[in-house]
Amino acid sequence: MSAARKTSSKGASKPKAKAKPKAKAKVKAKAKPTAVADTPSRQPMRRTIRGGRPYFFADPAIDKLLNMLVVLGSEVWTLRERLAALEAIQIRQGGLAAGELDAHEFSAENEARLAAERKEFIDSLFRILQEQVEEARRR
Amino acid sequence: MLELKHELKLSKTRDEKARMNFVSGLRAHVLNDLANGMRAVYEGDVEPGFRRSAGRAPKDGPEVHKAIKPNEYFKFYSSLRVTAQDMVWQSVFPPLERNRDALKSKAAALSKTKRREHGPERQSERGSLTLQPGFEVPRYVSAIDVHLMAGNYDGEYEANDLAAGALYDNGLAVFSFGLMGQNLDDIGQSIAGFIRLKYPHLKPRKILDLGCTIGHNTGSWKDQFPDAEVHGIDVAAPCLRYAHARAEAQGRAIHFAQMNAEALDFPDASFDVVFSSMFLHEIPKKGIANIMREAYRVLRPGGLMLHMELPPNSQLSAYDAFYLDWDSAYNNEPFYKPFRDLKPEELCRQAGFAPKKYVQFVIPSVGWYGEKVWSEAATQPREVDNDKTGRLTDGILWYCFGAWK
Repeated sequence: MSAARKTSSKGASKPKAKAKPKAKAKVKAKAKPTAVADTPSRQPMRRTIRGGRPYFFADPAIDKLLNMLVVLGSEVWTLRERLAALEAIQIRQGGLAAGELDAHEFSAENEARLAAERKEFIDSLFRILQEQVEEARRR
Repeated sequence: MLELKHELKLSKTRDEKARMNFVSGLRAHVLNDLANGMRAVYEGDVEPGFRRSAGRAPKDGPEVHKAIKPNEYFKFYSSLRVTAQDMVWQSVFPPLERNRDALKSKAAALSKTKRREHGPERQSERGSLTLQPGFEVPRYVSAIDVHLMAGNYDGEYEANDLAAGALYDNGLAVFSFGLMGQNLDDIGQSIAGFIRLKYPHLKPRKILDLGCTIGHNTGSWKDQFPDAEVHGIDVAAPCLRYAHARAEAQGRAIHFAQMNAEALDFPDASFDVVFSSMFLHEIPKKGIANIMREAYRVLRPGGLMLHMELPPNSQLSAYDAFYLDWDSAYNNEPFYKPFRDLKPEELCRQAGFAPKKYVQFVIPSVGWYGEKVWSEAATQPREVDNDKTGRLTDGILWYCFGAWK
């Protein structure tokens, strides 16, 4: 018992702050179909771990960021699988030839538009670093 | 990700399947690749550093743990393993929540069906479920979320709930990344089959599985010994409800009952085999002693007690002891290390078994190694292999110990 209590007490005040919004978001997104269930006394299943979870880095924020990164990785993978499914269905239905997607070349016009959008995407990704630059320029 | 092969399987969207695939892949990466990396970091960096300051190698698991704890690789390994563990259950909740009505009605229908897929000659045989209203779940189950599974085995959220059983079954399918068999019964199939091969004269009439949860390893005993009456007991009602429906879906006649293994309701000398798997390490020491005594009591003379478990620390290197003890420190398995610090032969002796009747087996996973290597093990005893015994990794070997009464 002591080991679990010890590890959990370390971040006991903080994990709730992290876990709650996540659980809430999922319940919101997924609970609707069960709301029409015929059992009014049904509770949603609890998704947060009693006693919190262990943290390993000097600052638990690193563990939390790592968790977010992995969850994001999971969503990126999920998109890839979905895209692969879409491609397979398109090929099966004749809307796309095998290998057509990989061989696809954008028109010059499309290419230019994508290049601009890509630049915008990268700028926004690193916008936070720009804040420091702008502050320095103001001084 | 492994798809469940019975009727209680949840319907999942394409994205839910993909998330589960990702978590299975992540777990395989952490437990194979990162675990190998951590050992290399230990051997090349942490252990030599310890030797330089202490003049010797770490003597046991706790010393290795203390030495490796500040290491960045250990932190990434551990943090990712906790994340993956949490994501296992999180990947199941959305489809499970959506399927709860369907699950309940399927389970209700299954407990009425008379269909038998296995052993058509035994079509009249049915399984059963016996729950005890007002049953008191011991605190070592009711007070924690073991292996970070929110709600634990016994969490109930409505009348006649079986969602916790479904969480465990579907979670195990993601968690095990194929290493626990296509029906999550590799432990049961490997061990029950091994016992049948090794002791061809053993003809058990009654078999008991202690702490059976969803009965995923109970059914193997019925497969291997179809003439036996097979019972599974557990303290968690939602798991037992699910276990009953699951066994019926798979066409296996198993009798499930809500009971505490520390105080069984069965008469003395009523079973020929008393088995458990991955069970004792979730029980405090006092409870383990009670369970061993009860196993002795309900066994017939000449019967076999057999516990599949993680190997004891006394049979592992300091590093491998640390590696398995990780769960005790970080995966809400508070009794895991204290159990593994015990000596199995002493546990059996203290329960009344004669020391010369002690047995211990290291059994290759039949799913991983195939029938040939697995069956050869019945005649060629193996020692505990540090890297693979009881460890969810490529080339897994199952450890078990027990005694004849």
